[in-house]
Amino acid sequence: MARTRTGGGGEAVIGRSTRIRGRVSGDGDLRLEGSLEGDVALSGELVIAEGARAISNVEARAVTVGGELEGDIRAQGLVHLEAGARVRGDIHSESVAIDEGAEFDGRLSGPDFELPPELGGGARRRS
Amino acid sequence: MASTVIGAGITIEGEVTSDEDVVVQGTLRGKLIAKDAVSVEQGGSVEADITGGPVSVAGTVTGNITSSDRVDLQNGAKVIGNVKAARITIADGAQFKGNVDMDV
Repeated sequence: MARTRTGGGGEAVIGRSTRIRGRVSGDGDLRLEGSLEGDVALSGELVIAEGARAISNVEARAVTVGGELEGDIRAQGLVHLEAGARVRGDIHSESVAIDEGAEFDGRLSGPDFELPPELGGGARRRS
Repeated sequence: MASTVIGAGITIEGEVTSDEDVVVQGTLRGKLIAKDAVSVEQGGSVEADITGGPVSVAGTVTGNITSSDRVDLQNGAKVIGNVKAARITIADGAQFKGNVDMDV
């Protein structure tokens, strides 16, 4: 089917002055700049941009947070908390990157996930 | 350039409220309230009442459309619902079932 600007999966942007209350799901990527209250299930990547706010449990291939998120994250790929991000919830993912300046209040877990010793991973093994 | 784009492949079930333009290429079920222009593009599907500024439809809308400005049903559009707007165009090739209220 003919599409103007988008390719297969499609792009999606929730702009700064847009608010959504409900479920968001789909195949493509999603960039959230506004506010969202409701769960997200994407096969693509979710970006919660700086200034954006989400109260959601999130399932996506990869998740980048520069804004505020209250809820759990499950990702197959990378979860990246950028400087300025504020996340309250648990993260379940293969790999996690937390930049300096990000706030994170929750637990990390993953299929083969072990914290480095200096962050307490070793302590748990010793006990 | 619209600031909110519900891309093809994306489904939103719930209420969308926006002060800016909204473009729907995917699926929206629930309610859509926009202060500015709403565009349901070809392939886009809205099962919701739409309230907005200028509304143009080239996709499918099931629900009532209320516009503070104008409603344009373009070729390929399929609209089932009532349309309330001061101005309305229905292009050749658009399908429409419902009432028109031009507030005269």
